[in-house]
Amino acid sequence: MTTPTLNFEFPGYLTANKFLSQLADKAILKPISEHYTLKSYYDSFDWRLYRGGIICELSRSQTVSILTLKNLHNGQLIASADLDSIPRFAKEFPSKNIRDALTPILEMRALLPLTTLECTLHHVNVLNKDEKTVLKLMIETFEFIPCRLQLIPVKGYDKAALRVIEALIRIGLVESNQPPLIDALKTQGRKPKDYTSKLNIKLDPNMRSDLAVKHIFSNLLKAIKINEQDTIAATDSEFLHDFRVAVRRTRAGLNQLKNVLPEAETSRFSHFFAWLGQITTPTRDLDVYLLDFDNYKKSVPPALREDLNPLYDFIDRKQKQAQKNLAKKLKSPDYIAPLIEWEEFLRSPAIKKPTQANSLLPIKSLADKRILKVFRRIIKDGQRITDQSPPGELHDLRKTCKKLRYLMEFFQNLYPKSEIKSLIKSLKHFQDILGEFQDLEVQEITLKKFSEEMMNEGVPADTFLAMGVLIQTIDKRRQQAREAFQEKFDAFDQPDIQDAFHSLFGR
Amino acid sequence: MKIIATFNIKGGVGKTSTAVNLAYLAARGGSRTLVWDLDPQGASSYYFRIKPKIKGGSKKLIEGKRELDEIIKGTDFDNLDLLPSDFSFRNLDLVLESKKKPTHQLDKLLKPLAQEYDFIFLDCPPSISLLSEAVFKAADILLSPVIPTTLSLRTLDQLKKFLKEENNKKIRIMPFFSMVDRRKKMHLEILETTPKQFPELLKSAIPYASDIERMGLERMPLGGFVKSGRSIQAYKDLWEEINRNL
Repeated sequence: MTTPTLNFEFPGYLTANKFLSQLADKAILKPISEHYTLKSYYDSFDWRLYRGGIICELSRSQTVSILTLKNLHNGQLIASADLDSIPRFAKEFPSKNIRDALTPILEMRALLPLTTLECTLHHVNVLNKDEKTVLKLMIETFEFIPCRLQLIPVKGYDKAALRVIEALIRIGLVESNQPPLIDALKTQGRKPKDYTSKLNIKLDPNMRSDLAVKHIFSNLLKAIKINEQDTIAATDSEFLHDFRVAVRRTRAGLNQLKNVLPEAETSRFSHFFAWLGQITTPTRDLDVYLLDFDNYKKSVPPALREDLNPLYDFIDRKQKQAQKNLAKKLKSPDYIAPLIEWEEFLRSPAIKKPTQANSLLPIKSLADKRILKVFRRIIKDGQRITDQSPPGELHDLRKTCKKLRYLMEFFQNLYPKSEIKSLIKSLKHFQDILGEFQDLEVQEITLKKFSEEMMNEGVPADTFLAMGVLIQTIDKRRQQAREAFQEKFDAFDQPDIQDAFHSLFGR
Repeated sequence: MKIIATFNIKGGVGKTSTAVNLAYLAARGGSRTLVWDLDPQGASSYYFRIKPKIKGGSKKLIEGKRELDEIIKGTDFDNLDLLPSDFSFRNLDLVLESKKKPTHQLDKLLKPLAQEYDFIFLDCPPSISLLSEAVFKAADILLSPVIPTTLSLRTLDQLKKFLKEENNKKIRIMPFFSMVDRRKKMHLEILETTPKQFPELLKSAIPYASDIERMGLERMPLGGFVKSGRSIQAYKDLWEEINRNL
């Protein structure tokens, strides 16, 4: 029964009234209604809906408030529901259709308002000689952006629709599925997808290393600052995550790109970022438990699942406390003052005759040298690991892998895209197993610690039983990850990967 | 999908206005609804301002050369579509007869629409014919408007007997009083006594009213031009009662 709608955009000069008077010469029009509406657009901070091809719009008029999800590319409706206000998370939407459409895309990310437009909606029907409606028109007029027209065909009246479409095109309208959101953002100097946690740093291979490194750090500082306020507000868990990634990258950069910036500053700020990493860890660790909790539940037999609820409440309470402590620290001079100094340092002009050995080196040479050195260390350390090696050796290897990963990401624009991407991918593949092994080991230890703390809280015995089973399943997975290590390392320690690293970074 | 046929052997008892007004209420309640105007007079097509014309006529339609979906027209009301009538429908019996299992033909044509609609109303022409037998095969409910007169009750009896002989177990007959004029003594008497004789009779009744007659002038369902009143309330009650009995 539903026929696809067609969307048109007015030329900038044409008003709705002028348009309707021009169209009235060619068709019988019947105005139906005119409403004032507020259209608000929503997305996650990292544009997950837009990237997933969805426009999320809340239209509020005097009588109704409707949320619609539309396909970004063809303008067709995906789902809609009456809704007064937007919940923060996808899983909190009362309408199942909306929930099902949003949850897999947004996951844990909060839905945030992007912009609101004032709009007047005109509904006009096109009639035939029998005064039967053969086509419905909906015109949206805005203050600063061109009007939009939606053409809603009536089944069985295609010819009438075609005649009107011809008239629309003659009047100067163009078919366009671009939502008003894009134009509205433009008036604010913004554009879609203007945030991503991925690095994309443009560097000139011949740039002085000290300038290039400062440029990299400035990019990372931008990421720290942009995520800072919502980390404090705990809007969703991923602000802190991205904040921490930027902090870790900065620290890795300071430690890996030595003898480039003055030693005193390098050491001082390296300490500061180590501290910043430390104070943000408890909250993130607890976030991860909460985000993973559904999987925890699924990993124990169905009869025990509900018994884990007290554990969730316990972690949730701890998380809230940790978040409160974190927010306090991020609002204190201990954080604010060094960060301002760091920014000033990054902005300060380059020293004409730097004393550091690597300062004047072209950045490409430094990048080649560092990446190859860390790569060789990974291979050496990895080959030394046997089935009997203690977990600590795998943890150290994981840290070294992260350093390599960050270096490759900092400098990726200096190398042919497909080649460096494929090397990052093979490294990531190997890194994942190390990450899994360590995460599971930490989880096992932490859950044991939690159970001791919970003993004093009068938690039911069934919960401890369920936690025991959970720890067992985690232990089993940890052993599996440990056993899989050798195979994954061997896949990375291959002559063709070695050759690729040497030919890309070995000059 | 539920298929509801408005049917009576007699003409002029309010079949079309019942189909049109109930379909309107179903659609307004959010159900995807279709009216199929099977009457060559094309009255329900007229009420929706849709031309009673189908390319190729009844022959191509029954032969399956044109999918029903291609012929369906959207009405001016959300969720409500119409399959228009065609003057060639006067020969529908002849066309059906030329097919192998004539009484199965409507059922076959309607099947593909099961995904598209929640309710299909078949607005049938009066008389018992091959077409009506095909309607009985396809429909879930036979909604039969009855004017409270002795003659009308006799035809209702005839219809019941016919269905019994046909041994049609799927269809449920739901008669209801239509065009009830409370100023007429006989109407009131029959209204009082009949329920004992016909237990399947619905309690809701549609009055004889000038606003229902005005549908022909306005060319739209009652709900399209009247917001409230006795007649529209009567249709609402009838629709609710049918839904309770579904």
